[in-house]
Amino acid sequence: MKLLRAVIAAVTLALCGPALAQPTDVAVKAAFLPRFAKYVIWPAAAMPKGADPFVLCLVGADPFGAMLEDAARSQSVDGRRIVVRRMETTTTINGCHIVYVGGNRVGQIIGAIGARPILTVTDGAIGAQHGMIHFAIVSGRVRFYIDQTAATQRGLQISSRLLALAVGVKQ
Amino acid sequence: MSGRSAWRGGRLAPNAIFAIALLILVGGVGVIFQSNSTYARARAEQTQSFADILAASTAAAVDFEDPAAAQQAVNAYRVNKQIRLIGIYNRDGKLIAGYDRSGEPPPSTIAGIPPPVDSEMRVNSPITQSGQHIGMVYLDVDRDMRFRAIARYLLLFGLFLLAALVVATLGLAQAQLSRANRELADRAEALAQSNALLEEQMEERAKAEEQLRQSQKMQALGQLTGGIAHDFNNLLTVIQGSADMLCRPNLEEPKRLRFAQAIVQAASNAAALTSQLLAFARRQPLKPEKVDVNSVIEEMGDLISRTVGERIEVVRELGHVQCRIEVDRPQLQSAILNIASNARDAMPGGGTLTISTATVRTDGAGMMVEIRIADNGTGMDAETADRIFEPFFTTKGTGKGTGLGLSQVYGFASQSGGDVRVESDQGKGTRLSLILPCVQVDEPTSEPSRERIPADQPPASILVVEDNEHVGAFAEALLSELGHKVTRASSGEEALELARAHRFDVVLSDVVMPGMGGLKLAQVLREEQPQLPVVLATGYSQEISETGSGGRPLILKPYRLATLSEALASAIQMERG
Repeated sequence: MKLLRAVIAAVTLALCGPALAQPTDVAVKAAFLPRFAKYVIWPAAAMPKGADPFVLCLVGADPFGAMLEDAARSQSVDGRRIVVRRMETTTTINGCHIVYVGGNRVGQIIGAIGARPILTVTDGAIGAQHGMIHFAIVSGRVRFYIDQTAATQRGLQISSRLLALAVGVKQ
Repeated sequence: MSGRSAWRGGRLAPNAIFAIALLILVGGVGVIFQSNSTYARARAEQTQSFADILAASTAAAVDFEDPAAAQQAVNAYRVNKQIRLIGIYNRDGKLIAGYDRSGEPPPSTIAGIPPPVDSEMRVNSPITQSGQHIGMVYLDVDRDMRFRAIARYLLLFGLFLLAALVVATLGLAQAQLSRANRELADRAEALAQSNALLEEQMEERAKAEEQLRQSQKMQALGQLTGGIAHDFNNLLTVIQGSADMLCRPNLEEPKRLRFAQAIVQAASNAAALTSQLLAFARRQPLKPEKVDVNSVIEEMGDLISRTVGERIEVVRELGHVQCRIEVDRPQLQSAILNIASNARDAMPGGGTLTISTATVRTDGAGMMVEIRIADNGTGMDAETADRIFEPFFTTKGTGKGTGLGLSQVYGFASQSGGDVRVESDQGKGTRLSLILPCVQVDEPTSEPSRERIPADQPPASILVVEDNEHVGAFAEALLSELGHKVTRASSGEEALELARAHRFDVVLSDVVMPGMGGLKLAQVLREEQPQLPVVLATGYSQEISETGSGGRPLILKPYRLATLSEALASAIQMERG
């Protein structure tokens, strides 16, 4: 009986697995964030030196928690690790490669980042203010818009493969 | 030869044909398999590159779990009907997007993909992004296009067909060539046979012609000898008869004279006959002199009348001839007599012979004298008229004529720079014209050499050189009778010795002798004794007719007493004067 219960449990898990494993939008966004690093080329001066990792910064409120660290750990860019740094203000923004703007001070934070070669990511769930990549929910799925103009102005090159996945690209 | 070598080629050819066919087959199959493996390699590369492209183009879609975008990339390949399966799997081996030609959904995990079957080719390509492995692309394609396989078998079949065709065609051609060769050889053989036959026939024909020529020659010789024998027999009859009569004792002087004259006349005729023969052979040295035609004809009056006989009236219509002709007088007389005797034979029942003379002007040769002799006899047809000048041609029976008469006329005329023309109408008569060129009259013509009584000559010492005993004895008797002192030598060498030992007034030498001839003797004597005159006598000498006598006096045999006497006298006279 014990064995039977275990088998039933396994079968149930296998059948319901996909439904149970269906990740939340936040989890998807957390999974996406470190992956952007693989599709962007920074100016040489802004690239990590030596064995330095890519730095994914989260400014303001944090909706992801440990999910972001998990996602970052599973990714690498040409062998480089990706680390997550959380900060309240933009004062320590230098050294960041990707900045996820959390909370509702989006315009202020982007303004503070200014012309630095940092990939800014905003979230439609937080506000209408767009960074270079802006999350949106389309047909129930997490998608994103890309502002290529803004990226190009700051010396960032976004891969066409990523552009192909975008809901919209501002050029 | 060529036929045999063709046959040798014929035995070799089938091997060559099979070799060619085999070569085509092996080459063709080789090319097919080569192209096939090349194709398979190219196909594998192409399929791999499809997978690689798919991996690259679906990288972001796999990374960001965007099945729609991945499916879009996959769908671009659906038009390729050779693709059986496309599977895009993420890092966990889970299907992101895919396509199955059979309509079934592709296996949902990498582990669920069945192993490839023989007819398909499977490639996979890892999906990576920035050095990170993020998924896998699986691609199954048909290993071979069906029509391509069919085409391959068709090609092979075609190759076999081609090879068979080549063998058949070449074999057929070979057979025909062999047959043609055989026929050619047969024909060549037939040709050679007919050629040999032809050559044989030609040889036979040549032999027959040679025999014919020979028999014609014999016939001609028969006619000639017959004719000559006949003429000579007549003359000999006269001579013999007369001589017999002369041998009889107590012969009256008039009779003796008549018989002697008959002998002289017969001998003269015989001389004319031999001279005709020689003239025909054109070996008679002519002794041209300037003569008046009319006077020659007048002198011949009796001769012509006697020749033609009593039943034929001879009419002479001698025109005014301003010039003279330069001819050998006896030959001219002979020619006229020959024409007259032919005219006589054309008028067996009698008739009129008209001899006329005239001066005519010709285009090329200037003034000419024409002697025309016409009869009103039977005439002759054109064919006969064409041939009358041919030697030995005669219309008379064998033994009746030599066939030389008119050919003498022709020979004489052409040798004298003139011509003979003949006109004849059958039943009306024949006109023969001798046309001879005029010469300038710049000296008195020599009087016709009449037979004169030899004038008394002062006795002289004469060396007679003659290899013929009879002629030598005759000449000695003749000259002794005239009161000369005669010494005889029978050869040139003997004569030379005698001339060195004794003194002579003149030498009379035959031309043709064994050993040293007369010309050579005369030449040596001129060097040794320039004052000693030499008179040459000849019946016929090729040397003299070709080179002349070198300015020495020459008398022709048979010579007459007067001729001999005069020639010797004038030679002595010339040397002394």
